[in-house]
This record gives sequence, structure tokens and C-alpha cells, in this order.
Amino acid sequence: MSLVEVVCVTKQYASGEETIIPLNEVDLRIEKGEFVSLMGSSGCGKSTLLNLIAGIDRVTSGQIVVAGTNITGLSRGKLADWRAANIGYVFQTHNLIPVLTAYENVELPLLLLKMSAAARRKRVEIALEAVGLTDRARHYPRQLSGGQEQRVGVARAIVAGPTLVVADEPTGNLDDDTTQQILDLLRRVNDELGITLLMVTHDAQAAGIAQRRIRLEHGTLVEAAQPEHSQAHRQKIA
Amino acid sequence: MITFIPYILKGLWGHRARTMLTVSGTAVALFVFCFVTAVQQGLYQLTESEDAQRTLVVFQENRFCPQSSKLPEDYARWLSNHKDVADVVPIKVFTNNCRASLDSIVFQGLPADKLKGTRDISLVAGDWNGFEQREDAALVGRDVAARRGVIVGEKFSIGGVTVTIAGIFHATVPAENNLIYTHLDFLQRARGKNDVGTVTQLELRLAEHADAEVVAAEIDKHFRGGPVATATRTKGMFQTDTLSDLAELIGCIHWLGYACIGLVLALVAATTVMSVHDRTKEHGVLQTVGLRPLRVFQLVILESTLLSTVGGMLGIGVGVAYLALSGLSVAAEGVTIAFQPTLELIVVGMVVSTAVGLLAGIAPGLQAARTPIIDALRHTG
Repeated sequence: MSLVEVVCVTKQYASGEETIIPLNEVDLRIEKGEFVSLMGSSGCGKSTLLNLIAGIDRVTSGQIVVAGTNITGLSRGKLADWRAANIGYVFQTHNLIPVLTAYENVELPLLLLKMSAAARRKRVEIALEAVGLTDRARHYPRQLSGGQEQRVGVARAIVAGPTLVVADEPTGNLDDDTTQQILDLLRRVNDELGITLLMVTHDAQAAGIAQRRIRLEHGTLVEAAQPEHSQAHRQKIA
Repeated sequence: MITFIPYILKGLWGHRARTMLTVSGTAVALFVFCFVTAVQQGLYQLTESEDAQRTLVVFQENRFCPQSSKLPEDYARWLSNHKDVADVVPIKVFTNNCRASLDSIVFQGLPADKLKGTRDISLVAGDWNGFEQREDAALVGRDVAARRGVIVGEKFSIGGVTVTIAGIFHATVPAENNLIYTHLDFLQRARGKNDVGTVTQLELRLAEHADAEVVAAEIDKHFRGGPVATATRTKGMFQTDTLSDLAELIGCIHWLGYACIGLVLALVAATTVMSVHDRTKEHGVLQTVGLRPLRVFQLVILESTLLSTVGGMLGIGVGVAYLALSGLSVAAEGVTIAFQPTLELIVVGMVVSTAVGLLAGIAPGLQAARTPIIDALRHTG
């Protein structure tokens, strides 16, 4: 059984008098340990699909099963519990809580789990070390660069040991060098921690670090060919 | 939820100006609420306490200001023989101001043995012998002494009455802390007058099973044919009648208390709405990492309650401290209402401020909890 199974999912919503259908009977499977990139033009529905899989949006029809749980039928409360236990989310705009330090931002998902303060501290320290920000733990988001903020965002996404990490344009707001650092970090999360990753991006080069590339066109998914430079790119950053 | 308290505190600290303004506004409103409640409690205690119901005051008929009531002192003899009267205290009252005032001085002259036997007072300065031995000696209530800054041994003059302060007392009945007790015959002779043989009022302590209304009617009936007709009422009724104008006013100012609560509700709700609006995206992030909508609601409620409670604690704390230290009171026609800070006042104030905080957070809390995560994350504030 695949880790993620998207079965005949349709998403539609009203925009004024018009009905928009960003996803139309989409099917997708992601295996455990995979790193999948999802590409497509702006507004094609790739972030919508990512949000549906992450359980922060609702399907209009179809079903999504992640790690054996059919999340389409869960109540808002149960879905929240499920996200806390299974999902790590990396936002494009980092979305760190400005009044909390880097340490406290990373600690947030752990506050929802039954865990002692000592265990929380250990996990946060490991996560910050993994993203290379141990020395910035007491800094507030305003005291960090964009790249550092995104690394804190990655640490927050992985700290609870999620089943699946989803990243929505994680390098969309970053310069080339920082983009490379974040992509490297995501690849290490996948390689070294074995966490399954689904990344939405419109950047073909960024998508190249994934093992598998998918393109969303006109509301349906198309398996994209793995470009030759992609393997080379993976090897290069490895 | 406890693990999220630092997050709430940091959020409030992050918007210091807004937090301070809300807490200050709440504190001011609760300070006023404290005052209003203290006045109401003072009036209530004066008119509704057991003592007020079981004690009769015999006054001259159709007289209101204590200066104008002149009862023959020997009425006490007949009264003390009445089967339903346990004790009779003749009292001469003098006040420097019959109208409503925040700083009226009220003298009550009564025999020393009656003073000792009927008033629950304890001396905090001076001594009882000093009072008994001096003709012009006076025992000054703690609140008057604090207001006027007088000490034992000093002479104190007002309205042509000069007394030597033999002691300062604390009374269990708060209003009595605003009185000055003298010897009865001294006050009868004060200001160059000779009112010996007349008193302002006679205070009767009823026997255990006596019916106050029946006894009062009997007394008035008996003295109707005498040299001076009487009007006898329970002490509570007497004080209510005497303070009728003030009581009406105090009855009205309870609306001011409600207005204060409304003000706090509006203030805390407005701040919480702003806070929720500013933090819509944060709430989206919190829900994304797994916070339940109910928890988001609780976070908002906790924040509004915290604001309101801290403001309430400040306002009530300052209000109670001020009332306790200032000994404020309002008097009219010789009857005093003490603005008394009580434990009940503190408890009521805290419950009100906490409840208002809870109430103020409900609408913004529901709004925060019901906003779909996607919409919250897209919020640009």
C-alpha cells in the first residue's frame, strides 16, 4: 500500500458566479520514502492538491488516504490531531510566529504531543542542529535572514518526526544560493531521515532534486520524465 | 493549553501599547465599579444588617435634621420599662453639616456606660479611662482621625464644639468609624447651649422575640399625647428615610456599575477582535501544525480573560487600597455611609472582570476557530 493514495479527487470552488475546478478526478500515489516534486503553471492547482494531501483543505469528491488513514472523512478536530502526528508543512513565506524565537517556533508542533519538557528540548535541539541553526536558537524571526527563516521552517516541519513533509514553493522567495541550501536541506531530510517529501515548485531546477517529478496540467496529473541533468544535480549536491 | 501560555504572554507583550491601554482601561473601569459597589454595600449594611432590623430609633415626629429633634430624656424611663425593650440608649447628635457631604463630622453624645455596652468598638490609640475621666473627652472613629489627621491628646474643634481626643477607635460597623463619641451631658451643653434633659434620639435594643413594628406603633401611640410626639422606626428604616435622597442617588449609580462592565466588555472585545485579525495567519499556521479549532478558540478566550483579569486585579487592588486608606464616607443629616472595601467586593470584582473577559473573547474566538485554514494562511492583514 502506498503512503499517499489520492483517488479520483476533484476540487471545485466558486469564484463569483464562476465555478473553478483546479483538480478534476486526480489520482496519485506516493510511496514511502519518496521525494516527489509537483510542477505546473501558476494557478494550475498544485498547491491545492498539496493542501488536500496535507489535510488543511477539503476535497469536493474522491478520497485521500495517507499512512492508512482516509483523511477525507475526518472531522476538523480529528484532522488536526492527524496533522500533528503525521504532517510537516514547509511554507513558501516561512510563516514563523514573529513573537517566538527560532527555538520556540520549532517547538510548537511538539506542544501538541504528549511529551516531557526534556524530550521536547532534545528534539528541538536535534532539529535545529540538522538545519545548522543551533547558534540562532534564541533569535527572533526578524533577526534571521530569509534563508535562515526557511531553515527554521524546515526544522519545525521535521521536529515531530512526521510521516510526510509537504513543501509549498519552499524556495519561491529565496535567492539562488539560499535556494540551493534549502534544496540540499530537503534532500537530506529525505535521504538521511527517510521522510517522504512532496514539494510543489514551479522551478524546474528545484524540481530536479526530487526522485520523481509530476506535472499538473489542466486539472490532471502527468508523470514527467526525469531529465538527465536531474540525476546529475542530485549527485552533485549529494 | 498550559504549554501555550508563554505564546499568549509573548503575543500580548508583542503588542505592548495595545495591551497596556486595554489593561489600563479595564483597571479604570473596575476602579469605578469598585467605588460604586462599595457605596452600595455601605448603604446595604447600614439599612439591612441584623442590627439595623433589631434596633429601634425614636426620633421627634416630623423632624429630619438631628439638630431639630429634641426629645425629653426621661422618655427613656418609660421605654426601659417596656416588656419588649432590652435596652435604651439616649443619644445627642451634632453634625457640622446636615446636607449630604463627603466630609461631615458627626458627634454622638451618649452615657459612657452605654457607649461601652452597646457599641462594638476597640481602641487603636488612647485609653478608656482617659475618656471616662475628662468631661470634654472624645473617642474618634479611625476614618475621621485619618481624614482629619488628628491624634490622641489633641484638641479638635468644629462647628463650635471643642473636644479633647482621648482615643481613636475601630468599629466593626464601618459607618461608626466616621463618628466622634462624646459624653452625653457634654454634648448637651456644647456650643454654649443648655440642652440638658433633651436628646436627639433614643435607640432601643429589642428583646429577642419582639415584633419591631408592633413595638414602634405602641411607642408612638403612647407619646402622641406627650409633650413631644415621636416617630419610631427600625434603625434601618430610620437610616433609609434619613438618607432617602442619597439612597435614591446610590440606587441610580448602580447603572454606572453596569456601564463600567459594559465598557470593559467593549474594550476587551475590541482589543481581542484586533488581535485575532492581526494574527489570523498565525492561527492558520497553528492549525496547520495540528492545533484543533477548539484550542484556537480557547487561546483567544484565554487571552481576553487574561487582559480583563489583570486589568480587574489592578483596578480592584488600587480601588480597595484607596478605600481602605482614605476612609471615605458620605453623610447626610447625621447618618454616615462608609465606602467599605470588603472581601465580597474583591471577589465580586474579580468574578466580574474574569466573566467579562470570557464573554469578550467568545465572538472573536469563534471567528478565529471557524476561519478555514486556507483562508487564514492567505490572510494579508
